Amino acid sequence: MSAATLPELICPAGSLPALKAAVDHGADAVYLGFKNATNARNFAGLNFTDAQIRSGIDYAQSRGREVLVAINTYAQAGRVKEWHAAIDAAADAGANAVILADLGLLDYAMRVHPQLNRHLSVQGSATNFEAVNLAQDYFGIRRAVLPRVLTLPQVEFVIKNTTVEIEVFGFGSLCVMAEGRCILSSYATGESPNTHGVCSPASHVQWLPQGNTMDTRLNGILIDHFEAGEPAGYPTLCKGRFEVNDATYYALEEPTSLNALSVLPELLRIGVRAIKVEGRQRSPAYTAEVTKTLRAALDAAADARYTVKPAWQQTLSKVSEGHQQTLGAYSRPWR
Amino acid sequence: MKIPPTLIRVLQRLPEAPPAFAVVAALNLVRRQLWPEEDFAWLEGRTVRLQASDIGCGLSYSFQRGRFVTSTQTPDVIFGASLADYWIIARRQEDPDTLFFQRRLSICGDTELGLQLKNLMDATDFSPLFEKIPQAIRLRFGI
Repeated sequence: MSAATLPELICPAGSLPALKAAVDHGADAVYLGFKNATNARNFAGLNFTDAQIRSGIDYAQSRGREVLVAINTYAQAGRVKEWHAAIDAAADAGANAVILADLGLLDYAMRVHPQLNRHLSVQGSATNFEAVNLAQDYFGIRRAVLPRVLTLPQVEFVIKNTTVEIEVFGFGSLCVMAEGRCILSSYATGESPNTHGVCSPASHVQWLPQGNTMDTRLNGILIDHFEAGEPAGYPTLCKGRFEVNDATYYALEEPTSLNALSVLPELLRIGVRAIKVEGRQRSPAYTAEVTKTLRAALDAAADARYTVKPAWQQTLSKVSEGHQQTLGAYSRPWR
Repeated sequence: MKIPPTLIRVLQRLPEAPPAFAVVAALNLVRRQLWPEEDFAWLEGRTVRLQASDIGCGLSYSFQRGRFVTSTQTPDVIFGASLADYWIIARRQEDPDTLFFQRRLSICGDTELGLQLKNLMDATDFSPLFEKIPQAIRLRFGI
C-alpha cells in the first residue's frame, strides 16, 4: 500500500502550543474549538480565540496540514446565533472543515458557507450507512466520524455502503459512548456535553484529599474514593464507583483508554480514511507524545511485517486514563 | 531530573516570603510578553498556592489591580506535587493530567480556578522567554 492511501492522522489541540506540537510531530490535520459552549470541550482556559485560530490555521496550512473546527454541541434554544457565529468565524478564518452534529447547523453551514467542508461529528451518533448517506444527501458531508460502538466488521460494512469518507477513533479516553445522547452529568449538575459542551463542569468538581486517600465529589455527590497510590480518573459520573446491592464498584464502566494500534492494518485494509486521537483537554506534552507514536505506527502499518512496538505501547500506556487499554468495540469475539 | 539534596535543604530552611517575592516579580516582568491578551480578571483577588509536597514548602500568590502579588490569604486553590514534578510540568515533559492520573499532582479547592491556571500554562508559548536564557544554562537544564 502506498503512503498516498494511508488514513489521515487527526490530532487534538486545546491550545496553540498543542496545535504546533501536533503539526510538528506528524498530524495530517488538527481539530480544535472556540472558547465557548459551541464545542464539547468547553473547559475554563482551554481552546482558541479567533486570533489564535487564525494563527493556528496559518501555522498548519503553511506546512500542508489541515485544521478542522469542532462545533459539535447542540445549539440551545434562544442562543442559536452563537453557534452560527462560530461557523461564520471558522469559515472566515479559512478552516478546512467544520465538525458538526446538530442537523440545523449542518443545514446552516451548507447554505451560508457551501465551500466549507462539513464533517459529521461523532456526537451526531450516525452508526449505520443509512444515517451517513442521509447526512450526505441533505447536507453534503465530506466525512463522518463513527461512534466508538462498532466492531471492525460493522465499520467495514458502513464503508462499503457509502462514498462519504469514514473517520474512526484510534486512541484516547473512553466514555459510556452514548455519543450525542449522553445526559448523565445533567443528573448531578444540570449540565451535559450537548447543552454546555462539558460533562462534569469544573465548577462542580471537588477533589478532597484526606491524608493519602482522596474523595471526588460532583456537585456534592461522592462519585469516587481513591486509596493511596490508586490511579485516579476523570471526575465523570460514568466512571464513578457506586454502592449497588452492598457491593461498591464501577457500576457503569471502569476508566479505560482505547488503543487501536494492534488493528491499524485492519483499519487500513477496510478503507478508513482518517484516524482520530481523543484529548483536546490534554496538554501539548500529551499531543506531542501521542501524535509522534501514532505517526510512527501508521507509517509502519502498511507493511505486511507490521507489529506493535513495545515502545509505542509504553508511551501510550503512560498517558492513558485508567488501569487498562482496550480495543473497545472494535474487537468483540463473542458476537 | 533529581533535585540536588543540598538545594532541598536550603529551600526547607528559607522563609517562604523571599522565593514568593521572586516568583511574583518574575511573573510581573514577563506578563505582557507571555500573556498580551490576558487580563487575569479570573485571578483578581484569588489566592493560588503551589505546595511542594516532598519538601513541605510552598508559595502563595494572587493578582491585584493589574499585578501579581504574594498572598497570605487562605488559598482558593492548592496545587500539590513534588518539586521534581513541577519541573517536569514546566518543561512540558509530562502532561499534567497524566501526573493527576498517577496521583503525583493534586488540585484542591476551586477546581475551575485550578483548571483555568493549568490551561493557561498549557497555552503559553514560553519560547521568547527561553531565548533570553544563556545556552549553557538551557543545555544544563534541558530547556
